[in-house]
Amino acid sequence: MRKWRYISPLAAIGLWQLLCSAGALKGTPSPVQVVQGLYELTVTGLPPGYRLFGHLFASLERFLLGFAIALALAVPIGVLMGWSTIFDNFLDPLVEVVRPVPPLAWLPLAVLWFGIGTLSGSFIIFLGCFFPIVLNTVSGVKSVDANMVEAARTLGARDRTILARVMVPGALPSIITGLRIGVGIGWMTLVAAEMISVQSGYGLGYMIMLARDVARYNLVVAGMVVIGLVGFLMDRIIKAVEKRVLKWR
Amino acid sequence: MTHRVGAIKPGAANLLAIAVAAAIIFPGCGGTKQTRVVRVGYLRNDLHQLAYYVAREKGFFEEQGLDVREGGVFNAGPEEMSAFSAGDLDMGYVGTAPAVTFSAQDMADIKIVAQSNQEGSAIVVRNGLEAEDISALKGRTVAVPGYSTVQDLLLRMALEKAGLKPEDVNIITLKPPEMITALSSSQVDGFVAWEPYPSQAAEQKAGRVLVDSGRTWPHHPCCMLVVDSGFLKKNPDAVRRMVAAHVKATGYIRANRLEAADMAHLFTGQDRPVVNRAMKNIDFTYMPDIKGIRRYVEFLAGNGVIKSEDPGSFTRELVDVEFLPGEGP
Repeated sequence: MRKWRYISPLAAIGLWQLLCSAGALKGTPSPVQVVQGLYELTVTGLPPGYRLFGHLFASLERFLLGFAIALALAVPIGVLMGWSTIFDNFLDPLVEVVRPVPPLAWLPLAVLWFGIGTLSGSFIIFLGCFFPIVLNTVSGVKSVDANMVEAARTLGARDRTILARVMVPGALPSIITGLRIGVGIGWMTLVAAEMISVQSGYGLGYMIMLARDVARYNLVVAGMVVIGLVGFLMDRIIKAVEKRVLKWR
Repeated sequence: MTHRVGAIKPGAANLLAIAVAAAIIFPGCGGTKQTRVVRVGYLRNDLHQLAYYVAREKGFFEEQGLDVREGGVFNAGPEEMSAFSAGDLDMGYVGTAPAVTFSAQDMADIKIVAQSNQEGSAIVVRNGLEAEDISALKGRTVAVPGYSTVQDLLLRMALEKAGLKPEDVNIITLKPPEMITALSSSQVDGFVAWEPYPSQAAEQKAGRVLVDSGRTWPHHPCCMLVVDSGFLKKNPDAVRRMVAAHVKATGYIRANRLEAADMAHLFTGQDRPVVNRAMKNIDFTYMPDIKGIRRYVEFLAGNGVIKSEDPGSFTRELVDVEFLPGEGP
């Protein structure tokens, strides 16, 4: 039944092409035009000379930097918040106030603080990744069976051992869920992050805005397709990692 | 399956009644009488489009018997052109670049019926950069508001005049509000933008104007008054009246510089010193310079942004000056 999974995307593309051929979608590029756009972006680039893979790598670089920093900060903070009620009470209001602010709203400040280079984009992606990882880590740590902690303690385990051997492994499934959501949201904020300022002239989101400005909508959709496919691949990679890491379950 | 001739279902009868009522209430749609309602779009805080604000505040539209409604206020020209594609606007004030690209790309069917201003951009350099002229930009980073915009062309023309190639300069794209931030933190060495950004940079002492765009390219096209082609065909009378109000407002700005500066201050929210400085660099004039627009179309066709075999005839098709007073093109 695995082949069933290809039906919905193929049907969507078929319907899309049909509507375009019938002239029902005014100005909307058809799948064929989008494929032509992908070819043009790969060979010629937009602006000419700035090719698709350059845009893709620049975006991946910004994304990985933002994601790595989010991961490095969010997991320890989440574990502390889940472990200690004092920390939780202390940090939770701050997290809950900052979390609903759309990453886009940070753009002017990001440019002010980090300039127009890679860092300001990474900061926006960091904001998208950070909160889902923190919240899922907290709930993962809190969900660890109190009896297991007690059992470990009676067996003479110290706090550090309990944290490393009981808490973190117990919270791991939830942390990985947080990663998946964080990666999804972080990658989604990419266009926003690259919309205003890109010093190098490379980036998928930047390229989409550029194509919009010169009314090349098939290149806009081609960029969307690449972002979608890369996001899909990243999700698959995390799922594969999850399977290996959580083999014991 | 057979149809019973003459039998109208109750639902269809209702629809018919609504259609008849609509035709009576809104004679402009489909009837012979032309509408006086015009949905107009413009850009937020754009000093070049001052004529719209003056015509609105001074009642020049009402004088013409028009009912002008705000069809939309936009942050950028491409957004406004998308609104034309969607059929949400009848007329609009917009820059030459989005008007030409969206028209050439068949994304919007519009005509340029008047100009709002010409010139009114400038090349600005940061403090501490020793620059007597454009040749000092060699090896430097310069921001333009968009790839293949009029400002992009202006920079390329200025570089060429100074004996430089575009490759001698690192040209990047930045939205104008971010340009001043980037300039004052030395992340770019210069930028090309429309007013009031150059004047704002100068007043904030973030940088200084190296050359006004009128010196690089005299009478270059800038903001335009455009109309949806379908609207023009159905309502030429409303377009004639809109253009007349626009021409009057443009004359008013030229004749009353001080009051116009006051109104520009209200329209854009910019400080008075910035507005005063910027207004000196903008030439408010309603007659489009066909040669200038054609030069820009050739630039777009040359770098492959649009496909145009014949920029001359494309430009003649796009610009329609028959509603303007004075001699034609």
